[in-house]
Amino acid sequence: MKPTVSPKKKFFIPSNKVYWTAKNPFEEFKAFIGSTPELPLDQIVQCTEAIMDRIRWGYEKLLEEEAKELVWMVQYNTIIKAYEVAEKYVKEVDYTAEDIEDFCFALENTQKIPYLIPGPAGVYISALCNYAKEEEIVLKLSELKTEINLIGFRLPRGKRLMIEGDTGDFTGIGLEGGELVIEGNAKNWTGAGMRGGKILVKKNIGLHTGEWMMGGEIYVGGRVRGLGNIVEGKVYERDKLVYPGKVRYPNHFY
Amino acid sequence: MEEQHYQSIIDEIWQKLKKKHLYPEIPMPKVRGPLEQGKGEAEEDEGVGLEMKQKQMTINGAFVSKMKGKMPEEKVIEALLDHGITHYTFCPWDFHTHLRLYAEAKKVVGDKELAKQVSNYFIDVIADTHCVKKRFTEIPELHRNLTKGAIDEVIAFLYQKIWGIDLGIQPSKTSGKTQADIVRRLARIPYLDRPRWGESIQKFARSLKPLLVEEQRQQETKGEKGESHPQGEHDLNHYSYEEIDQGLRDYARQTMALSEFKDVVEDFSEELKGAGYGMEGGMGRGQKNPIDADILFYMKLAENYSIPIKKVPLEQKGSLHPHSHSPWEVGSPFQEVDIWTSFGKIMPGITQIWTKREGKGRGKIEGTPDCLIAIDSSGSMINPRKSLSYAVLGAACATNAYLRNDSKVAVYNFSDAPMGGKDILNYTDQREDIYRVLCKYFGGGTALDLEDLMPLIQGKKNLDFFIITDMKITNLEALIGFFGQIQNRVTAVHIGDNPYAARFEKAVERKKNISIFTVKRKEDIPHIVLGRIRDYFNPTHIKNS
Repeated sequence: MKPTVSPKKKFFIPSNKVYWTAKNPFEEFKAFIGSTPELPLDQIVQCTEAIMDRIRWGYEKLLEEEAKELVWMVQYNTIIKAYEVAEKYVKEVDYTAEDIEDFCFALENTQKIPYLIPGPAGVYISALCNYAKEEEIVLKLSELKTEINLIGFRLPRGKRLMIEGDTGDFTGIGLEGGELVIEGNAKNWTGAGMRGGKILVKKNIGLHTGEWMMGGEIYVGGRVRGLGNIVEGKVYERDKLVYPGKVRYPNHFY
Repeated sequence: MEEQHYQSIIDEIWQKLKKKHLYPEIPMPKVRGPLEQGKGEAEEDEGVGLEMKQKQMTINGAFVSKMKGKMPEEKVIEALLDHGITHYTFCPWDFHTHLRLYAEAKKVVGDKELAKQVSNYFIDVIADTHCVKKRFTEIPELHRNLTKGAIDEVIAFLYQKIWGIDLGIQPSKTSGKTQADIVRRLARIPYLDRPRWGESIQKFARSLKPLLVEEQRQQETKGEKGESHPQGEHDLNHYSYEEIDQGLRDYARQTMALSEFKDVVEDFSEELKGAGYGMEGGMGRGQKNPIDADILFYMKLAENYSIPIKKVPLEQKGSLHPHSHSPWEVGSPFQEVDIWTSFGKIMPGITQIWTKREGKGRGKIEGTPDCLIAIDSSGSMINPRKSLSYAVLGAACATNAYLRNDSKVAVYNFSDAPMGGKDILNYTDQREDIYRVLCKYFGGGTALDLEDLMPLIQGKKNLDFFIITDMKITNLEALIGFFGQIQNRVTAVHIGDNPYAARFEKAVERKKNISIFTVKRKEDIPHIVLGRIRDYFNPTHIKNS
């Protein structure tokens, strides 16, 4: 039987026992292991991420249910239905105004949210604003490349939504007594079907402004490109009342 | 006296600090005494605790003295050095990251000075937060005792929130709500998540912008200069020439966008010039010579690609060969000894050594010939000063390849050459001159004037020809005929596919000295092998030339 160790090979065992104990060559750095205290920042970021995931999930569910073919037609019924679905998911999330703003920017990041469909996105953001805890919400969206449609949909009484930047079509439609302030421009069909409340657009506004509005006021700091068929309510252009008025007629574009 | 005392403190704590930061390669910090200046300037000088130039950190003795009553000197110095070291070890880490953060901030604030301020604050928040999280540091104590302006107060308020350490900040009554709003937004940013720094600085800039704009407006009204930063300014002084060079190269490669690169280079042009950065021949140096950002973009981008050149046997370059004998002397090289005529002995008077001379070692020594680059700048080509032109990038890579091999390059930039749409540069090794001609854009019709090429070719036995065009040349047949006559190595690069390119390929397919490459994407450029000929060892082109 062969010996397991060759007789020629000899192991050197140091006589000093100190050498005999294995020494970690990285002993010097031991002090640094695990010395990373948890900062409140970690918790805030973690919490923010979790909320954003929930909000994102709600939006994706909305798209699944309401824009199956990734096509969404803006019609009275589709808006109402999409809003109802959005409400269902939004109610489950505990979020702040900053989360809404982050979601708006996340919409443009295709890695995070694959589809930005302006209609459902606007309805969803409106639902988020309407169900937010804060009475006053400021969304700094001036660096956003996309103009969000339907923002301010059904904004309820007692809420103030302020948008820094421009908004798309159907801004503030079906407003329900809230106050919507747009620091930039708003596109067509602004305030359509609004029942009450106030829309203040600091710059210009597009066509069909106030179409079928039933009440409330629209103030425009710049120019009104065209009024819609207004039933009830007031429209001001640079502090001057343009509806009701003698000079301007419904669907008169200028 | 105080400086010596502070220096001794640094000597004492430096080893501990190095260990704490896992032994970064940073030289021992120095201490600077007060500068000789007016009262106002002296006060301003006292406000800056740390200066960083290249990798040398310098502690301002006046600042430490000023802080002495509030916290121990050792702690002030340690906190400042912790902060400084973290800039090298974590954020911004390198010049490329710094540029990237600045560019992202500028997208939001739009103004050069504001973008610099935003990136400085952001870099500081990351460095300090990293230090507080990962190391035992006196940075919070330093922040508790620093004199703060409006923005510094908001930043300290942010630290208080994200570090969970009381820094004694109470939101002011007048601007409390605004401050709290800003801090609430700032506190949500994942500062320590490096891959998200780009998106994070945009959010940071959006939140801080109103305060910065307000401060800038106040300064303009009062005609004052901005407050100095206690932890030092983040300018290009941090970086060495090589780091700046590498940073620009990386930034050009990463963005691949001429306009973005140009914006950043123009914003930093003064600092780049101050850092001695510019191009050969003096461009970028001196007050009246602005840096040509377009040329710099192609220069830095081309440095990311290395195109190989197949060398050719050159006639005039031969190796040294034994020519005659001379007597050996003590100290002469042994390897030169001719053992046959020395009778195998090493002895002065008997031993002989070979004297060598350069011979015409044709076929043995390989070299790189000069190159004539013909570049199409007609209307069908992209204007290289408006957006990234693969033609110019390809030609720039070819230029670098030849210059690296000690060869010279001539440029024939043509559009409608017979009508004067051309620029000719004779053989030179001045990179800047070559790039300037390459970047010229005529934007007219496309025709070559072969008469222009003759003076550049005549008298050159070995010459490579590199042409880069989309092949939509009016007198393409004349060009094909010209290539049919010459035996030089020709590398023809065409941008995109089209019938003209197909016609050219078909016409010259039998010519073994012509290699054709198509560039559709930037990734195609490294595939170009300059002067590659199918039958490399076939010396026909040499015989005929």
